[in-house]
Amino acid sequence: MRRAFPLLLGLALGVALVFLVLPVLALFLRVPPGELVAQLGEERARQAIVVSLKTSLVAHALVLLVGTPAAYLLATRSFRGRSLVVSVLDLPLVLPPAVAGLGLLAAFGRSGLLGRELDALGVQIPFTQVAVVLAVCFVASPFYIRAAIAAFEGVDERLVAAARTLGAGEARAFLRVSLPLAAGGLGAGSTVAFARGLGEFGATIMFAGSLPGRTQTAPLAIYDALDEEFGVALALGALLVVVSLVILVVAKAVPAWTRSAQTSPSRAATSPSR
Amino acid sequence: MSRRSAAWAAALALAGCGGASGDGESAVVFSAASLAAVAAAVDPGATVVAGGSNDLAAQIRDGARADVFLSASAAPLRELRSAGLVRAPVPIASNRLVVVVPRANPAEIMTLADLTRPGTKLVLGAAGVPVGDYAREALTAAGAGDALANVVSLEDDVKGVVGKVVLGEADAGVVYATDVRAAGDRVAVVAVPAAVQPEIRYFAAATESGGARAEAYLERLLGAAGAVALREGGFLPLR
Repeated sequence: MRRAFPLLLGLALGVALVFLVLPVLALFLRVPPGELVAQLGEERARQAIVVSLKTSLVAHALVLLVGTPAAYLLATRSFRGRSLVVSVLDLPLVLPPAVAGLGLLAAFGRSGLLGRELDALGVQIPFTQVAVVLAVCFVASPFYIRAAIAAFEGVDERLVAAARTLGAGEARAFLRVSLPLAAGGLGAGSTVAFARGLGEFGATIMFAGSLPGRTQTAPLAIYDALDEEFGVALALGALLVVVSLVILVVAKAVPAWTRSAQTSPSRAATSPSR
Repeated sequence: MSRRSAAWAAALALAGCGGASGDGESAVVFSAASLAAVAAAVDPGATVVAGGSNDLAAQIRDGARADVFLSASAAPLRELRSAGLVRAPVPIASNRLVVVVPRANPAEIMTLADLTRPGTKLVLGAAGVPVGDYAREALTAAGAGDALANVVSLEDDVKGVVGKVVLGEADAGVVYATDVRAAGDRVAVVAVPAAVQPEIRYFAAATESGGARAEAYLERLLGAAGAVALREGGFLPLR
């Protein structure tokens, strides 16, 4: 009787493990690995990988460029409505992707809120790679911003203050003290955001449509190939699993690695006044 | 997007209750999106799952529980037939293609040839989706094959095509005449000349597991109720 509880815990873990691992494993077992690799050479698969990589990287650069300073501000300043701002930035996290797509159309579509203004500038966003990038940014950025706020909040204020008393301006203290000290958390958040962006589906198909070679990302290609080119769908699926695994490992490794490189706060603190 | 997932969800839910189903239960009808309203009108008690015919065929192939499959072309049925998943299909109706444009017609589409103008945002069904294959056939026959270079999105079923045009995001789409009715006055229509109309044929087939439910449904569909629903939906008799 005393053993029943631990047994139950073990059983639950076993069920969870099998349930979560089996579908992933099944992707690789349905066809031989050689064929999976061969299918990735198919025109449809190659195009999708190129579109996915290109749009994800551009989107990710934008997320880092805007998200990092925004998160720094939120982590280091307290002002009225700050928690409201943080909550609003989290919204895409809980929003169904289809709603995100609808919203992007309603805002940036040709007949949307900014449609006329964009049209006057000669800018049309739906059905372009810009639309894919915007969809990815919309759904992925909260993952990064959340992590970045936490990472900046974790930086010892005294180190930043020390840098300031030694004559570093605020921008310099940010670049030379806060940023390197927060790098682990930023890196982890960044990889998770990238993974979310790479998997983006719902907002993309609504806002950017699906055209091989232009807006059809790997997840959209999987969906599209499901009926006639099941092999291509499987191959792309397996590839995304591998990429996700790499991202997971990196996300776990980066914070640990930067922590061990920065165990001595004095080293980080002296660098600004070098 | 969510149409296919919704179809999957419905199929799964139905599969879940499959064990308890008696013969008195109503039929589960997998219907080409363009025919979905008719499918429901034939038997209001039926559960209609709408989608691209090719997607629905893939779901039946993968084990979704359907009693009847209504396909917008012969192709999606072929594989199912050879896999022994459906009985012999029966042709039930025909349709026409039209070019649908937003009411304001921003790209000034008047003829099929206008679709070839560079910069026109054209939306079609994807390869394998009947309405897309029919559209490519018609455009090629009309000598407007260059329009394929203007395609900005390939949708998974005909409702996706109409949706992009209704929203005003696309300049034009090629759909069935019957689809335009639901979109009402938000869209305008450009005719596709009779000479290049492909031969559109809808088929009905009972699945091997459909049994009495499928028989009862097909009887209604091929009888007076079906004829009225098809006519009211704007579908054409077989040529």
